Amino acid sequence: MADVARSFEQTAPKRSSRLGRRETALLTKIAAYVILLLGAAVMILPFLWMISTSFKTDSSLFVLPPQWIPENPTTENFQLAWEVGMLPRGFLNSTYIALASTLGEVFTSTLAGFAFARMRFPGRNKLFGLLLVTMMIPGVVTLIPSFILFTRLGWVNTFNPLIIPILFGSPFAVFLSRQFFATLPIELEDAAKVDGANWFQIYFRIFFPLARPIVATLFVLGFIARWNDFLAPLIYLRSVDLYPVPLLLARLDSVYEQNWNLLMAGSTLALLPILILFFFLQRFFVESIAMSGIKA
Amino acid sequence: MAAIKQPKRGSLHRSEAIWGYLFIAAPLIGFLIFGAGPLIGSLVIGFTQWDLASPPEFVGTENYANTLSLSLQPLARELDEATGEPMYRCGRERVPESRLNEFTTGQIDPITNAPYICEVRYARASSALPSGYEEWFQFGIGEQRYIVGAIDPVFWKSMFNTFFLLLSLPITIVFSLIFAIAMNQRIIGSNLFRTIYYTPVILPIAALALIWLWLFNPDYGLINYALGQLGLDSNINWLGNPVTVKPAIIIMMVWKGLGYQVLIYLAGLQSIPRHLHEAAMIDGANVWQRFRAVTWPALTPTTFFLVITSMIGVFQVFQEPYLMTNGGPYFESTTMVMVIQQNAFRDTQMGYASAQAWILGVIIIAVTLLNFYVSRRWVQYEAS
Repeated sequence: MADVARSFEQTAPKRSSRLGRRETALLTKIAAYVILLLGAAVMILPFLWMISTSFKTDSSLFVLPPQWIPENPTTENFQLAWEVGMLPRGFLNSTYIALASTLGEVFTSTLAGFAFARMRFPGRNKLFGLLLVTMMIPGVVTLIPSFILFTRLGWVNTFNPLIIPILFGSPFAVFLSRQFFATLPIELEDAAKVDGANWFQIYFRIFFPLARPIVATLFVLGFIARWNDFLAPLIYLRSVDLYPVPLLLARLDSVYEQNWNLLMAGSTLALLPILILFFFLQRFFVESIAMSGIKA
Repeated sequence: MAAIKQPKRGSLHRSEAIWGYLFIAAPLIGFLIFGAGPLIGSLVIGFTQWDLASPPEFVGTENYANTLSLSLQPLARELDEATGEPMYRCGRERVPESRLNEFTTGQIDPITNAPYICEVRYARASSALPSGYEEWFQFGIGEQRYIVGAIDPVFWKSMFNTFFLLLSLPITIVFSLIFAIAMNQRIIGSNLFRTIYYTPVILPIAALALIWLWLFNPDYGLINYALGQLGLDSNINWLGNPVTVKPAIIIMMVWKGLGYQVLIYLAGLQSIPRHLHEAAMIDGANVWQRFRAVTWPALTPTTFFLVITSMIGVFQVFQEPYLMTNGGPYFESTTMVMVIQQNAFRDTQMGYASAQAWILGVIIIAVTLLNFYVSRRWVQYEAS
């Protein structure tokens, strides 16, 4: 790409250098399209293959060359995956775990972020620094003592270990919401203070309504992280009844190994809710990434 | 009047402070219970032997010693029991040195229908290593062969594998940089591309791992089929072969993580002031020169952020190998977190697993600090 552009610029006659430049730009754009289309194909093909496989009958599964559009498409796999995969139960479990933990996380984290950004109290900056340092602790180091603690509390094989620690808020979410509240104009709390409102009222009447973007962003990020989590449910949950979707998929794989049409139907079903969420709330993803990436 | 006002102001401040502490209480208490507490807890547990059924027993640094002990030994030649001659293996036959020329002068091996290939035979690994040690790997320097043994070779293998998976990092960075630059050419549909690339990032690995298991299937997988269509070797047992299993997992990791880095790079690219590019163009810089002089320096802080965060992530990889290979074949895709998870939750060796978790934690922190140290040489923050 670089060479093409360069040789073009060199050979273009001086008189029409503007034209040369425009055509260089055109060439660059074509090259960009080619690269992006190739990349997009690689990104998308696994999903198309998954969908294609999930409609296949057992007999057309192992046909070479592979059929992208199955000869006798069937929806049986979806039915079977739904039932033997216990996916309805899994969706309920996953939604409950993700929703309960994330709602609490967002509430406590934004409240703390607000306090760190807008309120004055001794030791504020040191405590914030301490919280930032905790972001560096690798999760694997705290895994075993947490497990022992939750075992002692009798929380193994309940949702508690997956929800309650999250309710205390996450340092990352506190950090992001502090950055957000710090950008709001300084006069906001003054009027309320004159009215004699307490800080809880100031937060909920004035700041919380303004915080919708950060709340949505944190909610989406947290929800997806909980929904996709694998290690914690694997460690804490024993009964299949309590399994969230990712564990049920792993179980489906261990029971129906090599039944690719069934497994791909299960995967398709498992991906749908998050895909739908993603396409509706895409804006918040992009914003959150920009926020977390650039300011870090 | 001043005397009345003074305490009132003080109480206002005190009330603000009380509310403030109240607001930050949850994350701080959470940090104490689920962060600092377990952090110290696992350090303490790491010095014990504890199966949760009986009380923990203090064992000092034994867990660390058992995890990390290595033994390097020269490996002796195998000698014929009767004559004491060094032995060789030619095809399937054991051959003493004196009979070697019966096999090395062009004789045909009936099994392979090719001339015999003769190799030096060495003594068994267990005879060279101290008791309690098992083979990790062997290597040769000239004629001499050495064996490296460990009390826990699986842990060392998992450490090697985990470092190997770091290769996904530069690969992801190069590709995401290319795609981000392409998306930044103000082309129509760049939002759609961004969405497509980002989709795998947000999806559950459990489902993606199943898809890739099927793609990597040696007989009917799409990948081998595509390789065959291109006229390449299409008989690769991707996840079952010790040589290809790590590259296969890296391919999947790159595919999954690419979109995140593209997005971050795109944000970085869009924050580069246009006038820098225009100035370079007026100076007659070509595309590559502009990249070297303007784009790359401006993106070094972004790259640094990506390197740090992805490294911490790769060191804790668990799901992909757990679901795709369960660590096999021959522990060639077992990662450190997998070893810790198995020791702790399958074998209930809480002390041993805690020590290993701390070793991993220290590696992560050391590598992060090293990154910050090295970054002074290559990361260029804006002067202003």
